[in-house]
Amino acid sequence: MNAALEHALQDWYPIAMLGELAPGERKQSRVLGIDVTVLANDSADETDSTPPITVRAEGAPVHVQQAFDHWWVCLGNAPKPLFSIEEAGEADRRFVPCGVVRVACSPLRAVENFLDIAHFPFVHTGVLGAEPHTEVYKYDVKVDETRDEVIATNIKFYQPQAAKSAEGGIQTEYIYRVPAPMAAVLYKTCPLKPEAMDVIALFVQPLDEQTCDVWPWMALYDDTSTQAELIQFQQLIFLQDRSILENQLPKKLPIDPGHEIPTKADYTSVAYRRWLKKRGAYYGALEAQP
Amino acid sequence: MSFTLHDYVLSGNCYKVRLLAQILGVAYTVKPVDFHPGKAHKTPEFLALNPHGTLPVLESDNTLLTDSSAMLVWIAQQFDTTHTWWPTNDAHRLALTVQWLGFSAKLTESIGQLRLHTMLNRPADAATLNTLSTENLRELENHLCEQSIRGLAFLTGDQPTVADIACFAYSALSPDAGIEHTLYPAIRGWLHRIRCLEGFLTMPGIYEAHETRNEHTAAS
Amino acid sequence: MTTQPVSLSRDLAEKQVMRAELSDVDMAVWRSASGVVSAWENRCPHRGMRLSHGFVRGESLACAYHGWHYNCEGACHYIPAHPELEPPKTIKANLYNVTEASGIIWVNAVGTVSPVTLPSNTQAVRSVSVHCSLEIAAQAFKDYCSLSPITANTRTEVVSESPYVLALKAPLPANSPTPSMQDKSNPVSVFIALQRVNQTTTVAHITASEHASETDCIALSRWANKVRTHAEVSVGSTE
Repeated sequence: MNAALEHALQDWYPIAMLGELAPGERKQSRVLGIDVTVLANDSADETDSTPPITVRAEGAPVHVQQAFDHWWVCLGNAPKPLFSIEEAGEADRRFVPCGVVRVACSPLRAVENFLDIAHFPFVHTGVLGAEPHTEVYKYDVKVDETRDEVIATNIKFYQPQAAKSAEGGIQTEYIYRVPAPMAAVLYKTCPLKPEAMDVIALFVQPLDEQTCDVWPWMALYDDTSTQAELIQFQQLIFLQDRSILENQLPKKLPIDPGHEIPTKADYTSVAYRRWLKKRGAYYGALEAQP
Repeated sequence: MSFTLHDYVLSGNCYKVRLLAQILGVAYTVKPVDFHPGKAHKTPEFLALNPHGTLPVLESDNTLLTDSSAMLVWIAQQFDTTHTWWPTNDAHRLALTVQWLGFSAKLTESIGQLRLHTMLNRPADAATLNTLSTENLRELENHLCEQSIRGLAFLTGDQPTVADIACFAYSALSPDAGIEHTLYPAIRGWLHRIRCLEGFLTMPGIYEAHETRNEHTAAS
Repeated sequence: MTTQPVSLSRDLAEKQVMRAELSDVDMAVWRSASGVVSAWENRCPHRGMRLSHGFVRGESLACAYHGWHYNCEGACHYIPAHPELEPPKTIKANLYNVTEASGIIWVNAVGTVSPVTLPSNTQAVRSVSVHCSLEIAAQAFKDYCSLSPITANTRTEVVSESPYVLALKAPLPANSPTPSMQDKSNPVSVFIALQRVNQTTTVAHITASEHASETDCIALSRWANKVRTHAEVSVGSTE
């Protein structure tokens, strides 16, 4: 087994939303190129100790846990802890799992695009950005050594409609976190509650190195929009990204410098690529692990 | 008379209605239905409104429609004072419009289904849908080639009708299903002409015609 | 590799960009507002986005992803995220040699572009894609000259050493439905320029004499569709 796969096997990936499968229902899926079966167990009896869900890879059960309104799996024998999102425990937030979208791209490209703001005026025109407000101002990026995460802070961008709840354009502030190679979390100005920040996360299930299932999830302050409105706003945004992601060449993410040309606006992406390289997260990367 | 559209943001059929309404400057109310992941179009509440369990649904004081082509006709007939989008005063063009409205359903059944499969993991026989999609795009391409030889820009003549809107949606969205426009030059030209129409509306997978803005110059 | 056609000039209007593949080379072909045609490697140097998804503004091609603008020489001259920055000269698209002749856009991805010489007094009919190799497609167009509107007594002539162009001359059907093809003194010539997209896809770019009528051109368009069907059936039967 190659080192990139061995490394990726110890991480957690979303496989289904909670309640997606009715009791007794099963579905086929794939993680890191390995076929898996997801079975929602029939547990009519409250005292039954059967777990609600069983996931098998090549016949053998794998590690399963629930978090952020999804079921997560780890196919490795030495699972790393799943990252945390503190806001998931805040009872006054609306939690919005947005459903799965399949994208023919490297899981790493999906994450990197989520960390990018310079594309807003061109890909999310009239919503998350609009010409002539295209400038990306200086922001800060670092690797938080204690949590081993990439963190980008102090990002400001003009947005015509920053959220479903926004009325008119606002200067939006962003913070990004990359807590795992195939997950990213952003915090942005909440239009209805300016002192707080909305949370939007992208959980990526790698089907293989060039295909992924993406599960967006949100934890918002919004007591006016319906669940359908919130989900569709997020789907509108993410499906605009999808046609970009399916047209990047090469399909796998180049993580060594030299293949692509970053600018100051791409500091988060540069830090992400370095961080992947340092931790040996080469699954979905163009280069083979040295 | 305005209307309410029971809508799903990623649906090509819903988009047809939004697009024509936008072009004609018609205001309406949108009611988002959680098609994915919620399957809200299969709930008893929704089935009471539309027993077919499909989107879109158009509701007004005296009308309830569940077919997107019918909605296009209804909107054009109500709101298009020029009578070009639903050309009732030209028998030949009216008949061709009906013919291509019929064809648009084939695009939905092929490209539309393949797109749901490719994008939202809906179960489907992808190989068969792929063959059907190619056949339908070729039929459209053949026709648009002939129109361009005749010097006609749109499906039924020199002006767009509701049939162009109906066929536009899933033709434009075929890359979502993995079918590029590269091999269909006549379709490409026609899609571009529709994107440049006054009042055009985008949806995910169909970008704004950024080229219609002015060139960036260092001085500006 | 050699010079090959990628599009009829008619099908790439001003301020438009298209994708073309030539022997598996992926390229963006675009025409500026003033009419200059360029063919580039289909990849923005910034983040690898296909430039064929971009948009043309004036004399620039811009990437769909972040709006980076490139001039007709391929040099990046504007990065919207940094409006005040003068982009380094090193940010450049990879250019291929391209030219327009006889109503066709020709490209050579590896060397000098030298299109097959064809008469200039022609008109565009259509481009048709065929799911077969270039050799099978070429053979099908020759074999099916007997189909209407081009009949069995048509002489098929390859007008150059290049395997990429077929010229079909003097269709003389006694009962041709198309008026100008019956005119023995002034026969319609048909030119078919072939593009090898890859081993299994070929595009035929078809032009005809200027005096071919609208009816002639529509008949040719339908004929090309029939030839496609025959070519693909012959591939299917050998698989």
